Order: sequence, then C-alpha cells, then structure tokens
Amino acid sequence: MRMPGLFAALTLAVMAAVAVAPAVVSAQEAAPASTDPRIKFKDGERYLRDLSETFEIPRDEICRELSRYDCSNKAFRIVLGGVDPYDARVMQPLDQATLASPIAFDRVALQVCANRVARDRADPAKALLFKSAAGRPDRAWRDALTDRLYDRILRRDASVAERDRMAAFLQGVEGRTGRSARGQSEQTLLACFALASSAEAAFY
Amino acid sequence: MTSWRVGRFSGLKAWAAVITAVGLSALAAGLASPGGEAVAKPPASMEFCKIYPTAHACAASPVVNCTTCHTVPPARNLFGAQVAEHLAPGAARPLSDADYIAALPAALKAVEALDADGDGISNLDEILKGSAPENGDSRPTAVSCTPGQTRSAAAGRWNTCGYDPVHAWRKVVLDVCGRSPTRAETDAFRRRLPSESSWREGISGQLDTCLRSPYWLGVNGVLWNLANAKINPQDSIKAGPRAGSIPLADYEWDYNLFAWMNTGDRDVRGLLTSQDFVKRVSDDPPTFAAVPDADLKGMRQAGQTVPREKRAGMITTRWFTTVNTMFTPIPRTTAAAAYRQYLGLDLARMQGLHPAVAEPIDYDAKGVGAPACAVCHSTLDPLTYPFTRYDGIIRNNYNPNRLKNFVRTDGARVVEAPEAGEIFGQKVANLLEWSQVAANSDAFAQKVTWDYWKMMVGREPSPADQTEFALMWKSLKAPDKFNYRVERMLHALVLTEAYGRP
Repeated sequence: MRMPGLFAALTLAVMAAVAVAPAVVSAQEAAPASTDPRIKFKDGERYLRDLSETFEIPRDEICRELSRYDCSNKAFRIVLGGVDPYDARVMQPLDQATLASPIAFDRVALQVCANRVARDRADPAKALLFKSAAGRPDRAWRDALTDRLYDRILRRDASVAERDRMAAFLQGVEGRTGRSARGQSEQTLLACFALASSAEAAFY
Repeated sequence: MTSWRVGRFSGLKAWAAVITAVGLSALAAGLASPGGEAVAKPPASMEFCKIYPTAHACAASPVVNCTTCHTVPPARNLFGAQVAEHLAPGAARPLSDADYIAALPAALKAVEALDADGDGISNLDEILKGSAPENGDSRPTAVSCTPGQTRSAAAGRWNTCGYDPVHAWRKVVLDVCGRSPTRAETDAFRRRLPSESSWREGISGQLDTCLRSPYWLGVNGVLWNLANAKINPQDSIKAGPRAGSIPLADYEWDYNLFAWMNTGDRDVRGLLTSQDFVKRVSDDPPTFAAVPDADLKGMRQAGQTVPREKRAGMITTRWFTTVNTMFTPIPRTTAAAAYRQYLGLDLARMQGLHPAVAEPIDYDAKGVGAPACAVCHSTLDPLTYPFTRYDGIIRNNYNPNRLKNFVRTDGARVVEAPEAGEIFGQKVANLLEWSQVAANSDAFAQKVTWDYWKMMVGREPSPADQTEFALMWKSLKAPDKFNYRVERMLHALVLTEAYGRP
C-alpha cells in the first residue's frame, strides 16, 4: 500500500525511534536492572494481532507488502520469529534474530502506523490516532496525541518524563513537516512508529 | 538469552562442527592416556551425569557434551588434562570401556578441589553451578539481589528481584493465548495483587482459558509447532486434504495425536505408548476425539494402518514410518529419530550411548562392525531391531516376516535380525516394550519438560534454573505430583521464578 508522505516518513523514521525509544527504557525508574533478564520477542503474528485489535483494523488488512503479501504470514515470516515446516523446513523459530529482523520489524511498524493514519485522514469522524489540531498544534495537542499512542500501543499511561520527551520530539519534527494538517498527520505517523517499534512493543 | 556457559554444554552447532572436523573415527580410536596420545571416551558423556546427577549440565539431559573434557576431541582441555592425570595411573593403555568407567569416579573426585582454569573457583563448584571449569572467564552467575535492591524492585514497575505476578500473568496471556492483555484485564488482575491466593488463582484461571484457545491448540498453533521437529512434515508427500504430488501419508493425524496426549487429563507417555487414533473434530474451538477402530475406514489409509495392539504412539504412525523407515530393512534412522525427538538423545552427537554386548552384528551387511562405526552402532543397532517389523512406505503395517522381503538386496542374514532389542541397557522383546522403557525413563520426562521450558521461558535452562527445572521433570514423573500430565506441569511452570521474574 502506497501511503502519502511515506517516503518522508521513512526519512525521519530513524530519528523518531532514537528520540523517543530511550524514554521508554528509562521509564523503569525505581527497580534495579534485572540480574538475569529473559525477555521474549513477541513475534510477527502476535505483534500484528495486537495492533489489529488496538488499531481496529482487520488482521488480514493491517500489513501487506506490495499490497499482496501478509507481513507476518508471508513476507517476513521467518525473520519475525515464525516457522515454515512444510516448504522452507524451518521447524522452530530461529534462536537468534537475523540481520534482517529489525529491518523487517521497522517496516511492519511503519506500515501499520501509516495504515492507521491514512484511515484517520480519510474518515476523521472515526479517527483513532490522528486528530487534527483545532488551531496551531500546541502542547495540549501533543500531550493528547501522546496519551492516545501510549494507550493504544503500549496499553498504559505515559509517564510525565515520557510526555515531555514526546512533546519535544513532536515539536522538533514540526520544523520539517510543517504545521498543516498533513504535517500533523506525519508527526502522528512518526510518533506512532517510535512507540510501535520500541523495545516495549516488540518484547515481553 | 542463553549464556555462553550454557551454550558450551548444549551448543549443538559447536558440537556439530566438532563432529565434522574430526570424524567419528577419531572419537572412537582409543582412550585417555596421561602421558601419551589423547583420545576420547564416548561413554563418559553419560557416566558423568551418573557421578554428578545435580550438575547443571545434567539437569536438562542425562548426558554432557564431549567438550566437558575436550577442546576438539580427542585433544583435552585444561579440565580434561587434570582428569586424565588421575585416571587409573599406571594401568596399561588402552583401557577398556569397563575399566575406564570404573576408574572415572575416582579421577573426577581427585580433581574436584583443584581449579583447572585458575579463576579461583574449584572444579566441583563450576561443575555443579554450570560454569566451565576449564575457562577462566566462565564463572557461576550470581542472580540474587541485595536487600536494598529487593526493596526497591518490589516498589518498581517490575519486580526484578523476584517473582512478579503481573509480569507472569501477562506472559501467560501472550504465550498461551497469543495476544497482549487489554488495559481493563490488566487493571482487573492488579486488583488481585494484595492476596497471593487471588493472584495465583488469576494466573491459573487465565492459563486454563488459554490452554483451550485456537492459538495454543489449533492448526499451526503453539502445540502444533512444538511438534514440527518431531513430525517433520513435508508437503510433497502429504496425503489426505491438500495432498502433495506424491501422496504417501498424512501428517495431520500425527499432530492430532500429539495435541491429544499433551492436553487434558491425559498421560503424556502416550506419545510413545498410546494405541489411540485421534481426529480433529473442530479447530475453533479446538476439539479432538479418539476414533473407534470400527470408524477407521476411510481414514486408515492416510493415518494409521498398524493394528491397535501393535501401535506405539507417535513412532508407529503411517507418517512416521513413511518418512523415517521408507524401504529400509533395519531402520536405524527411525530408531535414532525416536531417540532424538522423544528422549532428547542424539546419537550423531554421541549422546545416550549404551553399548550392548556383542553388538553390532551387522545383519544387513552395511559394515557397521568396523571399529569406527561400532562405537555408536553397538547402541544404535539393538535400539533399532524392535522397529524392523514395521513396514515403511506403501504398507506401513506390522509384519513379523517383513525382513524376508530384503534378502535379495541386503543379504541372506538380514532375516536373522531379531525383533528383540535393547534400550538404556535394558533388553526388550519388541517395540511395545521398547516404548514402555523409553516412556518411563528420566530422559523422556526431561525432554518433555525441556521442550516446554524452552518455549515458555524462552531459553534453555540456565545454571540459575537448575533447581526449578529438575523439580519440574521429577514432578512430571511423580504420581502424587503431575503424574505425567503436561497441563499440571504448565500450571507449576508459570509459577517458577524462571518464568515470572523479569
């Protein structure tokens, strides 16, 4: 699916992840680091099922490469932790992520966010993430967007530090996207991507 | 993430490289000699765990890899060199296997207090705690928190110093139901936290619900995928629905039987002993039912042609004999596959060697009596004889006179191969007895537990997990605990610190 502004979004995507993702990690304030951490990768299928439910997009429409191949079941099946015992003879999920895994994961996150934002632009009455600011985008607009994203993607409230960091990020991006409705939707897309590609969204 | 130390003991890739590099003949060529040529003794891999049953490396499997004592076999590592110095000093070389095994406990005992790698930790401590006694960079992992850390962790978002009920519950929803919990569900669970009995009940109830979900039980679900490496499906020879170009058998019946034996109040030993034939009645909700023999008509050809009284669970299905036995009179691949898939013992890695007296006899004239081959075939061939009466491709049936069909291709002696064999040093009359011995072994319970542990915890049991892992598989066997019921084990597994500690 070709999305308006997708190319520009790709250009800024890495910047978004770098700017916001650390905020997610630093949210674990009081607890000491685990002495024996054992996080697990959510894998492509569970990741898309979660986003399908939370973004209210049918599972078979949420992410299709070249508009044809399901991102989890077809396009990135093995690199996103799936198996293919019948043809590729991959019986168990790979023990180690491949070099392509983070690339594929970012692609999926970006495509899903672009999908949702495009639907929001097409039908503002049913918008979930992108809601155009009444006037010039301000801190209140940014905080409301941040709250929606944390609620939908990470299923929790943002901390004060996370809201501050996201607001600073959105303000910084505004310099490149502009303040128009289109610029706001691109900011929404990037903020969505930052959270959807975060460690907290990918692992459990 | 698996620590390198654990990987050292169970690093399959590394061991495969070793096998490739030196070949089996080098491993079989002789025995350890303090001053002379260094060689390896395959039986040591199993003997080690008899001597140190509580060693970390023995918690997950009854064998250790040869790299415990060797770098690239037969060359010894620092620890192996110390052991070799104390192994029957003065005795003439080469030692027989029996003499070697008799001398090994004393040799290991003599080096327990030594420190082969000079890291300040005794060999014995390293063996028991799972670090490498020959590597100074490998030390036992400390996973305990200080009292101050424990207090701050308990107040934090995750309790990184102990079992965290919310973290464990969320993992159950993701692992077994295949989705993240909603905020409302999380809030509801959090309300249970003040009462331990309440949150335990919440986790248990969630697990029960998820264990019946399509994500867990359905086609291509979690249990299905757990069975992939055992069933080894191939679409090109699939029969039945969505048949391949050369339809020979249908693996879907094997997946059904696997799911059946791993769910409900059923004994998981049925994987090797069940005589049921199971159909999938529905995939949503997933429902299974044993098919009475009278109703087998029409399903029989694709799934099961062996009469009920000759069936041994997953290892006599039409699919299993088709892909493993094929046209082989003495189907060593079949026995090795069963040994590897259901007992976790890979003969290609020299695991689970129990040489039988006066074996191999080489009934099919394959040259397995050569010294380099006999090391493994003295175990593998008697392990295989009970499979010789089960046809592979085409008939897939029990046939006491089956070997007569192979005289022209495999020689006159092939008909002399007995149906009786040997597993774990125990003589068995046929495959039904073989499967009983296998299903009741520690290796079977360890393999079942290991499969679920790796899937649920997300990694192989680490040194820190040793106590809980051993408790799991021993409880799986205990009649007053899990009594071979997988779902009972899973209820305990999700309450372990290994599962619930972030």
